[in-house]
Amino acid sequence: MAKRIRVLMAKPGLDGHETGAKLIARVLRDAGMEVIYTGMRQSPEMIVAAAIDEDVDVIGLSTLSGSHKEHASRVIDLLKQKGADNIVVLSGGVIPKEDYAALQSLGVKGVFGPGTSTRVIIDFIKSSVVSNN
Amino acid sequence: MTTKKVTKRTLPKTAAKKGSKLFSEAAVAQIKDEQTEWEESVLKEYPKKKPETRAEFRTGSGDIAVKEIYTPADIPDFDYSKNIGLAGQYPFTRGIYPNGWRSHEWPLQYYSGFGTTEDTNKRFKELLAQGASNVTVACDLPTQIGYDSDDSMAAGEVGKVGVAICSLDDLERLYEGLPVDRVSGTGNLNCLGPIALAFCYVLGEKRGVRPSDMQVGFQNDPFKEYTGRGTFSFPPRVALALAIDVVEFCSKNLPRWWPQHVCTTQMRWGGCTAAEEVAFGLANLVTYLDADVERGIKLGELVPKMHLHMTADNDLFEEAAKFRATRRLWAKIATKRYETKDPRVVGLRITNYTGAHRMTAQQPMNNIVRSTMHTLACMLGGVDAIMNPAYDEALALPTVESTRLAALTRRILHYESGTANTVDPLAGSYYVESLTDQIQEQAQKYFDEIEAMGGALAAIESGYYLKAMADGMVKYQREVESEERIIVGVNKDVLPEEVPVKIFMGNPEAEKKQIANVKKLRAKRDKALVKEALAKVRAAAEEKMVKPTYNTVPVLLEATRAYCTIGEIRKVWLDVFGEYKPLTYY
Repeated sequence: MAKRIRVLMAKPGLDGHETGAKLIARVLRDAGMEVIYTGMRQSPEMIVAAAIDEDVDVIGLSTLSGSHKEHASRVIDLLKQKGADNIVVLSGGVIPKEDYAALQSLGVKGVFGPGTSTRVIIDFIKSSVVSNN
Repeated sequence: MTTKKVTKRTLPKTAAKKGSKLFSEAAVAQIKDEQTEWEESVLKEYPKKKPETRAEFRTGSGDIAVKEIYTPADIPDFDYSKNIGLAGQYPFTRGIYPNGWRSHEWPLQYYSGFGTTEDTNKRFKELLAQGASNVTVACDLPTQIGYDSDDSMAAGEVGKVGVAICSLDDLERLYEGLPVDRVSGTGNLNCLGPIALAFCYVLGEKRGVRPSDMQVGFQNDPFKEYTGRGTFSFPPRVALALAIDVVEFCSKNLPRWWPQHVCTTQMRWGGCTAAEEVAFGLANLVTYLDADVERGIKLGELVPKMHLHMTADNDLFEEAAKFRATRRLWAKIATKRYETKDPRVVGLRITNYTGAHRMTAQQPMNNIVRSTMHTLACMLGGVDAIMNPAYDEALALPTVESTRLAALTRRILHYESGTANTVDPLAGSYYVESLTDQIQEQAQKYFDEIEAMGGALAAIESGYYLKAMADGMVKYQREVESEERIIVGVNKDVLPEEVPVKIFMGNPEAEKKQIANVKKLRAKRDKALVKEALAKVRAAAEEKMVKPTYNTVPVLLEATRAYCTIGEIRKVWLDVFGEYKPLTYY
């Protein structure tokens, strides 16, 4: 039997608008994944520690405050440092299209802004984790 | 023909109010008969030739089914005087001003801020030069929560969603060359109300303006933060006590200041329905007002300076009906709860920040149309002040152009559409009166539920509000993805490639500059004065833990004058009040 995909949904930084993160957490859970939601106000250090502790396949970072590049960069650096850079990092929230390329060059595998179909996110995660394993 | 002679004896001395029921039973029965025949012979056949576009028609919130047609048979007991009456008097359904908007103009006002104080100062001057009547300061997240710009938790967030204000020093620089007599009190420092008050007060002092002459307004609604916004730190009961410190201090010393307005925006944006929005807002409002009464504050003087800050969603008639239902329900609740007929207490002002949650990232120019819908719903519903998000809301902070266009939306409707020429023009519509009744009935049910569980504090702490929001959000998303709910540009009329829109990109140097500012301030301050002031802040907080009505504002005035930072004050408070760890529901 295939191991269930494990996802850490996280809100790095100070933005407290959780609606999107919680929605994705619930949708992924309903799609059969195991989801841990960190809650808001997480430092990159806390997120990476939780991701390693929980042995997740994917980290979903949700930011609406414009701090997406800084936090994604720090999370990815820490994952590399700890030898956990096989974990797929995804971004979502209020992110200008202009920044998508920058995020991807930092190592973010997919950026899913407002209005993205949750089906698209589920399928992306399933195919990313399969290709990783 | 004989005419009956009318003498003084045949007329009652004081005519009893008979009520003004509009439809006779006979008329309703006849309409019902005609309608039944029409449904069977005309209506039933029509969709066979032309199928309806949806399986079910429902209001935007989804909890009210919408029929093909509404007639007097849908509101058979409608009594004009009892149900809606005239404007400016009980039950205030038609509005709180007797002549509606005929003496009113919707001002060009903004919520703005970003980067350093220099960036925001420049933006404010630009907006004022373009005719803005006032600008509310938008602070960045570290400021709103209470982290100084150089705190490790602030990394990446400084100057992003608003301007960084660490101390009075920053506020003074922000207001350089700007009048302080009309300061819109540092926007959303909802959980740090007494600090915001102290900063504005001392700013006035420093500029030689008597604080009591200033006209300052605060949001000061900490409940908002526990229900979808997230800048809280302390337990809700502490946050409530701090908010009432602001209201009490203003009522005693600063009668021209507007110390609080209560928000439903974040709950609706987070997924709750229209009826829930009404109920949750009024439940929060009574909790605050009960606490005000406990401190001896006169509601007749306070409530006219407050308002219920709601949002406007897409369904035009549901939203207009919602505002009417809100006023009528409040009139009913307040009359009973506060045992008063005082129109100042019982007539509720409603303001609005229109549907930011409906601003799509896809084809953002479409959002101009949406904002117009929302604003029209507000005007038809009798809403007082209206603020609109810019069309690029889902992408970034607004540009000067996009924020100005947003503000002009309400001006164009006001001056050019005729909507505001008469009071409550939708009154008497069979559909709108039916919606108003149904929304009020549902809202009353939720309000009673919240009362039964112990009020707004219990609703927050138990996760009741958060559950309603999360459930609503999931339902909404499912409807969008199944195309049961159409959003133009998102699941219909989609463009294969989006047309790029010019967006605001902020100041990437702001964080570095602001960190340097704070460090400079700390070096040049009188350290002894700071230490002494913070000790007094601690003592006041400890006193407050024993006696929640102890007012923290006086010691904060001293701390502000000593240039203590928000971060320093919050650290003391956190130590004494403790940190709130909320339940998570999703």
